[in-house]
Amino acid sequence: MKKYISSLVTGFGAGVLQIVPFLRSFSCCMIIPLASFFSLLLNQMATKSREKISSKNALLFGVMTGLYAALFGTIFEIFITFITKHNDIIATFPELQRMVENFPVSPEIKTEVLNIFQNVRNEILTYGFSVLYTFSVLINNLIVDTIFGAIGGLIGAQVINNRLNNRIN
Amino acid sequence: MALKYRAILFLVILIWFTGIFTEWFIKYDEHLLFALPFLKKSYSLVCHQQPAKLILFDGGETLTCARCTGIYAGALISAFVFLFSSKLKLPGIKFLFIPVIFMLGDIFLYSVHIYSYSKNIAFITGLLLGSAGFFYLYAGLKNLIIEIKNRE
Repeated sequence: MKKYISSLVTGFGAGVLQIVPFLRSFSCCMIIPLASFFSLLLNQMATKSREKISSKNALLFGVMTGLYAALFGTIFEIFITFITKHNDIIATFPELQRMVENFPVSPEIKTEVLNIFQNVRNEILTYGFSVLYTFSVLINNLIVDTIFGAIGGLIGAQVINNRLNNRIN
Repeated sequence: MALKYRAILFLVILIWFTGIFTEWFIKYDEHLLFALPFLKKSYSLVCHQQPAKLILFDGGETLTCARCTGIYAGALISAFVFLFSSKLKLPGIKFLFIPVIFMLGDIFLYSVHIYSYSKNIAFITGLLLGSAGFFYLYAGLKNLIIEIKNRE
C-alpha cells in the first residue's frame, strides 16, 4: 500500500474539496481526475522515475485516488452531517418538494417520494444520521469517484508520457 | 481497439450522458422520480449544479451545468466517431491544452466581468474539451488492453 501514498495524499485533498461548496463550484468536474493526475506526478517525483507510466499503473493509481477520495469524502460528509444535523438534503428539501409537485406524475408516486425524503430529513434533523442517506452517499462516492479517478489516471498518464517523449526528443 | 470495446465505451458514455436528462424522461416513466434525488447526488459529485448554469429544456433541467454537459456531449461525439474509425492518430498534447485554455479563458473572462456568463459559450468550451479529452482516454484504454493482452 506504500506504493499508493501519493494517491492517499491527493485522494484526501479531493475528498476535502468535494465537500467545500465554494471550492467545489470552482473546480467542478475536474477535482477527481486532477487528483489522479497529481497522484501520478507525485509518484513520479517521489520515485525520481523518468520511465513512461504504463496504462495499468495509471489505472491503478486513478482507482486508488478515487477510492481514497470516496472514503474521505464520505467520512467528512457523514461526520459534518452528524455534528451540524444539517446537509444538502435539509437545505434543498423545500426545492425538492416544489420540483416533485411540478412533475407530471401520479399523486401516489409524489407522496411516496416525498415520504421517503421526509423520513431521511427527519432522521438527520433528530439524530444527525440516516442509514439511507449514508448508504446512498457511500455508494455514490465509491462508484463515481472510482470511475472518474480511473479516467483521470488514464488521461494523466498520456499527458505525462507525452511530456517525457518531448524531453527525450 | 476492437469494435466490442469501442461499442462498450460508447454505450457507457451514452448512459452517463442520458442520465443528465433524467428529468425529461420522468414523463415517460414516473418511477424515475424515485431515482432522481439519488442521481442528482451522483452528478453533484462531478458538477457544482448551480441553478443559473443548468440547461433548461422541455419539462426540466439538466443534472449538470452547461459546461459539464458540453464535456460529456463532446466525449460522446468523439466516442461515436471512434466507433467507425479506430485508426485515428493521437494528436500532440497541444491538442488537449488548446480547449483547456479556451475553457479557463472563458471562466476568467466572465469571473472578472469582461462579459456575462453564457451557457452557450460554457457548453461549447466544454464540448471542445470533452471531445479532445476523449482522444487521450481512448489512447490510455487502448494501451491498457495491449498491456493486458501482452501479459497473457
